[in-house]
Amino acid sequence: MSRVAPTRGSKTLSFLLISFSALLLYLDTTYKSFEGIKNTYKSFEISTSYVLKKLAIDPILYIYEISSYKAYLIKENKELRLALDESHLANFIISKDSNFFANDQLIEAFIIKNGLDDIFHLAKIKFFDTQLYFCCSQHRVFIEIFNKPSIEFIGSPVINSSGILGQIIHNNNFLEVLLLTDESHVIPVESENYFCNAEGNGTTGKIYCTYSTLLWPEEIKQGQKFFSSGMGGVYPRGLLIGTVGEIKKIDESIIRFEIDLITDPLQENILGVLENL
Amino acid sequence: MNNVSIPKVILILFIVDYIESITAPILIQAFINIPLTFLVFSFVVYRANSNPGSIFAFFIGLYVDIISDSPIGLNAMLFCTMSHLINSYSNTFRLFSYFQICLFFSASSLFFIGFKNLFINIENFSYLELITSFIFNSFLLITLSISRFNFLRNISRR
Repeated sequence: MSRVAPTRGSKTLSFLLISFSALLLYLDTTYKSFEGIKNTYKSFEISTSYVLKKLAIDPILYIYEISSYKAYLIKENKELRLALDESHLANFIISKDSNFFANDQLIEAFIIKNGLDDIFHLAKIKFFDTQLYFCCSQHRVFIEIFNKPSIEFIGSPVINSSGILGQIIHNNNFLEVLLLTDESHVIPVESENYFCNAEGNGTTGKIYCTYSTLLWPEEIKQGQKFFSSGMGGVYPRGLLIGTVGEIKKIDESIIRFEIDLITDPLQENILGVLENL
Repeated sequence: MNNVSIPKVILILFIVDYIESITAPILIQAFINIPLTFLVFSFVVYRANSNPGSIFAFFIGLYVDIISDSPIGLNAMLFCTMSHLINSYSNTFRLFSYFQICLFFSASSLFFIGFKNLFINIENFSYLELITSFIFNSFLLITLSISRFNFLRNISRR
């Protein structure tokens, strides 16, 4: 079927509409005259897609989520149970009801072995947040002294049968012990004729020393023993703190090395508190 | 093919514009631009039994301008022009082969892309894109017309 060729009238109409379109185009590109219409359409499009998504897609997703939720819950339950078991295991060691490691003779033996003539008081761990200890940089233990003497213990060193654990920083209901590995703790240590302030940074079982080779040219070796220097007047001198672990060269003259502590706060729940020096 | 009703055209163009908005960012990486809405509108006008009016083309163009976020009047003007051209040569097309018609529509799409780029993408106007699009559109239209021809021949054999 053939089509009728455009008449003069339709040609004129086409020309007029093309001209009108050109005018609209000019107005839009020059003056942004139709932004309102476009924005209205966009907002309509967004709200429609949102409503459609809510009505059509979300219910399907919800059904899918419900179907997979049970499997997810079972998996999560298993993981939580595992974590709880591990937590129970860790907490058993320091449990206040457990006297498994309670042995004051060990601490007494440590005192005698190291030639300390300080008076010490036996204390018991009341609270130790092991999760905070393993995850974070704040390492604190709360202890209670058995005989509760009327002495000021702030600043007193706390030991176990292996060595120094930290020092008491607060005395509220319980004594708060700042462990060597706490990020705010610094202990002066020495090895032969070298001294440094070893800092904790929240890593369990390690403290760190930094020194300049320009000041101390002797080489630090792995396994080298470090002792408390007694400087600062908090800790007694000559107690073994730990041995040198990893050594890192920060730049040409600065060396940073770690000291692997010989003490572990999880080792025992009966501790010794030395009276202030 | 009979005349397609206006609601159908509106719906088809909406869907095609959506498809174009998805495919265009991918194809442009290969310097290919397929103006699907323009080609579909041209096909609707080409296959209509009677001449679609200029007013129809104008309003459909405005509609496409709004849904494709183009400057208002751009598609309206080009759709009017294309509609007028197809109406003018509707009887002449019968003398041409499919291949020539495909080339005509490819050339029209080339003009459409070039004209559109002048308004909305003048900083990145690329002749390479025009040439690549022309070749690709020609190839696409020829492929579609051949497949359609074979499809119809298979049906008539049955």
